[in-house]
Amino acid sequence: MSDYIVEMKHITKRFPGIVANDDVSIGIKKGEIFALLGENGAGKSTLMSILGGMYEPDEGEVYIRGKKVQISSPNHAAKLNIGMVHQHFKLVSDYTITENIILGVEPIKKFAGLFPYVDIRNANRKIEELSKNFGLEVDPTKKIADLTVSMQQRVEILKVLYREAEILIFDEPTAVLTPQEIDFLLGIIEGLRNGGKTIILITHKLEEIKKVADRCAVLNKGKLVGMLDVKETSTKQMAQLMVGREVNFESDKAPAVMKEEVLKVEHLTVKNEDGFEVVKDVSFTIHSGEIFAIAGVADNGQVEIADAIAGLTKVNGGKIFLEGKDITNESIRNRTEMGISYIPEDRQSFGLVLDFELSTNLALKQYYREPLSSKGVLNKEEFEQFGSKLIDKYDIRSGQGTKTQVRSMSGGNQQKAIIAREIELQSPLMIFVQPTRGVDIGAIENIHKMMIHERDQGKAILLISLELDEIMNVADTIGVIYNGRLQKIASSESLTTNEVGEYMMGAKHE
Amino acid sequence: MDTIIIDGLSFALPLFIMAIGGIYSEKSGITNLALEGFQGFGAFIGALSAVLIAHATGTDIQNLFYVSLLFAMIGGMAFSVIHAVLSIKFKADQVISGVVINILALALTTFLTTQINAIVFGAASDKFRLGVSERFTIEGLANIPVIGAVFTNVYPFEVIIIVIAFFAWYLLYKTKFGMRLRASGENPHSVDAAGVNVSKIRFSAVLISGLLSGLGGICFAYSISANFSSNIYMGYGFLAIAALIFGNWRILPTLAACLLFGFAKSGGAFIAQSMALPSSFTDLFMILPYVLTLLLLIFFSKSNRAPRALGEIYDKGKR
Amino acid sequence: MSKDKKIKSLRYNLIRPMSNEKWQPISIPIVSILISFIAAAIVILLIGKNPLQAFYNLFQGAGILPKPSYAGYKSMLTDFLSLLNAMTPLVFASLAVAVAFKAGLFNIGVSGQMLVSGFLATIVVGYSGLDAIIAKPLVLVIGMVAGGLMGGLVGWLKYKFNINEVVSTIMLNYIAQYVISFFIQMYYIDPVSRQSKYISEAARLTLVNVEIANLKMDIPLGFILAIIIAILLKFVMDKTVVGFEIKAVGSNRNAAKYAGINVGRNTVLAMVISGGLAGLAGVTYYLGYFSSIQPKVLSSIGFDSIAVSLLGNSHPIGVIFSSFLISIIDQGSTYMSSQAGIRQEISSVIIGLILLFSACGAYLKHKVSRLKEKEVDQKESES
Repeated sequence: MSDYIVEMKHITKRFPGIVANDDVSIGIKKGEIFALLGENGAGKSTLMSILGGMYEPDEGEVYIRGKKVQISSPNHAAKLNIGMVHQHFKLVSDYTITENIILGVEPIKKFAGLFPYVDIRNANRKIEELSKNFGLEVDPTKKIADLTVSMQQRVEILKVLYREAEILIFDEPTAVLTPQEIDFLLGIIEGLRNGGKTIILITHKLEEIKKVADRCAVLNKGKLVGMLDVKETSTKQMAQLMVGREVNFESDKAPAVMKEEVLKVEHLTVKNEDGFEVVKDVSFTIHSGEIFAIAGVADNGQVEIADAIAGLTKVNGGKIFLEGKDITNESIRNRTEMGISYIPEDRQSFGLVLDFELSTNLALKQYYREPLSSKGVLNKEEFEQFGSKLIDKYDIRSGQGTKTQVRSMSGGNQQKAIIAREIELQSPLMIFVQPTRGVDIGAIENIHKMMIHERDQGKAILLISLELDEIMNVADTIGVIYNGRLQKIASSESLTTNEVGEYMMGAKHE
Repeated sequence: MDTIIIDGLSFALPLFIMAIGGIYSEKSGITNLALEGFQGFGAFIGALSAVLIAHATGTDIQNLFYVSLLFAMIGGMAFSVIHAVLSIKFKADQVISGVVINILALALTTFLTTQINAIVFGAASDKFRLGVSERFTIEGLANIPVIGAVFTNVYPFEVIIIVIAFFAWYLLYKTKFGMRLRASGENPHSVDAAGVNVSKIRFSAVLISGLLSGLGGICFAYSISANFSSNIYMGYGFLAIAALIFGNWRILPTLAACLLFGFAKSGGAFIAQSMALPSSFTDLFMILPYVLTLLLLIFFSKSNRAPRALGEIYDKGKR
Repeated sequence: MSKDKKIKSLRYNLIRPMSNEKWQPISIPIVSILISFIAAAIVILLIGKNPLQAFYNLFQGAGILPKPSYAGYKSMLTDFLSLLNAMTPLVFASLAVAVAFKAGLFNIGVSGQMLVSGFLATIVVGYSGLDAIIAKPLVLVIGMVAGGLMGGLVGWLKYKFNINEVVSTIMLNYIAQYVISFFIQMYYIDPVSRQSKYISEAARLTLVNVEIANLKMDIPLGFILAIIIAILLKFVMDKTVVGFEIKAVGSNRNAAKYAGINVGRNTVLAMVISGGLAGLAGVTYYLGYFSSIQPKVLSSIGFDSIAVSLLGNSHPIGVIFSSFLISIIDQGSTYMSSQAGIRQEISSVIIGLILLFSACGAYLKHKVSRLKEKEVDQKESES
């Protein structure tokens, strides 16, 4: 018997068109924190999905506690005491914490010895106990909808612990957290290890690995390229292995040359569908030649600010000025015409019509104008030409050129198409919401370069991102939002990452 | 006044049980416009089994009420398999599937009714005669003013429906099946991650809606129409859908909506009768439930919240 | 060849013609129709009749194949013209469904919209005694406007109050049915036929019993209009800004809104067009194919049109072909029933089955592409 609790040998997994895992072998020791490092699409999640029972490998073997197993379902994985904390939370927002945790493993009691029912009261007690034992205090009767992101993550962790997992897989757990929350979480993870659990940490953030992990496997394009002892390796070495070349962490960027005011937001208030104020009395200005970034934890009102400026959501109070003109009540079309480009957060449900061709999507903001159409009649040839031009200029890769159905394109290329379309409008104001989400590192660098280039051309840029690193790298001015309010606006040089993090949690404000 | 309550209840309760079927299906995430077809097909199978058994054994068709009830539920459930397969396995658009099923139910049952009448009974008829189920009155309670009408001339099926409705509530809100079903309609990924098969849950939810709709359909056939014919497709299923939308996909408020429809209908008929208007005026009063539906929808549609994942095709392969 | 392999190759050959994506809009409906006819044949066999005979009679009755004998003044040509006459309202109705569908809306209220516009045209023009030259165009205009308004109402309710159009159109169907039945029975009833009184020949959109070459034929004027409008609609949907916007709204409301398209206006507009087309279906039906209205009955065309539109892939030209097919099934059923002794109602069953299998189209498409992927994989592993 080997000393590994988990062993994966020669794992190969193919999907149509790509080999997600190519002969990968790893072994994980009981009671260690094992990190899995790699870029988006390097095959980390696939490998762990095999361990979690979501996929079956095409080739290779899995051993748990020395026994060969074929993990056929998440249920089976749970039986082997393997639990996964998902990156995208899988919670029912209408249900209480308890209901979410017990879903699938409900404790049953019988009424009058005949009618079985779910014993919520007992479950509440058990979960309260459990949460105290692991330092993850929650109120089990609260609904998910009322919880912050980091609390929701606690529920995900508790879900796994409730199922008595010994091997815990964390899939990019820090992506949505503030620096302080990250520290707390890493503390929890270390605590779990010290309590005897085995932890697998999927991440692309090197500092985290450096902080808590014992060993680290590096994947690149589906292949295992390194198995490292974390203490003896520098972050620089890890990064090189991960990307396969030297990387430049900081983007080169000349200091901003700010000119006239382009966007001015005054006392903006926005209510959501349920009538809650999600943006409260927000004021800021962006100048020509400035990148203004809004930092914040997800769902704190930042997306609503972008929607309000672009006209997608109704404004309940305050005013918005573009180049001095009041656009608070203008239609979306008029705002585009007056000069707003908008790269939305949700590219599939807002940015693109997935069933339309690529050229049509590239023309989505200009189809009604000359030369793409005249007198209400579309000119298909012009659509083609316009599409081809953008495809070349922005290097959009697709199967059948302008005729490709956007649905069949990769996420990265879909994003490129949107960015191409929006930059091509050459609007004085460009709004980027999470422009690099789900895009690989090479493309991220590229998108950052494009933003800085447009800034240098005199555009005003509003960047909304959940990635604090991105904001610290690119922004000239940072506004930090918490609970719908801008807590702080300052130039990026005057703020440290930690300070921004404190403002993001509402721990500090002016 | 009493007739309004008596007729109103006997209309509202079958509607209510169909609406509960709709709630099951939609709470699990499957849009269900096929209730109309389910209830018609269920009633067809119920009526068919009654006339066939009566024909074979010589039993009075009145006595076969419970048998036909049972068969109607089986029939409705069997037909609902089409919707389940189309919208869960074949991943067809759920609205299209529902509409298609309604059209198919009408065509199929009309054809089969005439065909079977011709072959088995040698009669050129497009209906199965059933008669009206017997009613009972609880003495004592029936004498209470106003409320007494609730206990007067009650169809047995009204009691059955109330019992089943209570059980349906228990199943949906107290058991693990109900908990998983409701979660499937809100966030199927969470159910999947919990190791529960979403498709299975949804499949059974659609079958339950078929079963309950069949029950509702045969109740109408054995009361208002006293026969089975294509007249069963009066839009009961759609009224049930409207009722569950006002009811915000919850059982008790849905009951209130159904009662409202029932009393609007019986009240309208009562007014037309008591004012001794010519028969064509009943047509005018017939529109009351439908107009009411539209008006109520105008007020309620915006504030109501459908199950979050309703109508979305669930593809678990995607991460 | 083993049995298993045989089945595989059979499946392969069945699916192969559908694997070309370009032809899928045509090949998949054809496969659905074939499967439906096979299913219908099984039903007919179960009753103990000959399905081939029945289908042959179906085509004879519709004027596609010659009957052994004809009554006086009748021929295959007159039968065929009757087919076109019956087909005209179906084309309009199916276009109505198709336009709404392009905008992501389900117009199940075609029957009600037909009835309202047919009724209004009947009482305003049909009983007026106006000259044909004014009456006929006026009928069309009233039909279009009445249907358009009713469709627009549905669009407005959807956009303004978020009322599911399926529910609202069905409610309006019932309301229209009862209200109009009331008016007909109160004011316009013909005591003999128990229908509304017949309209003047001048207002009628079909020229009936025109004697040419010793044949008495019905000439449906609306048919030509239906073809023109179908072509016009294809142009509007494919080539104009209006069509582009409607399709964008239908494909992805959020993205359409984001692109600056007025979603509300386009929702209402699509329903107005759809209702207007349904109105034309109504006038060509009640003031063309028929010349009176039966109270308390909704025409089945409104529902058949959903089948036709689905089958025609919501494409204006496709709709012409699919209406042609459905009309044949409908029109031929009487003759089939008298010749083969099969109940006429089977025709709606066949239509229902076609509809059912068309609804599985998306699944078929998915299956076909999966099979293709497998094929590629196999080839790769073999080589």
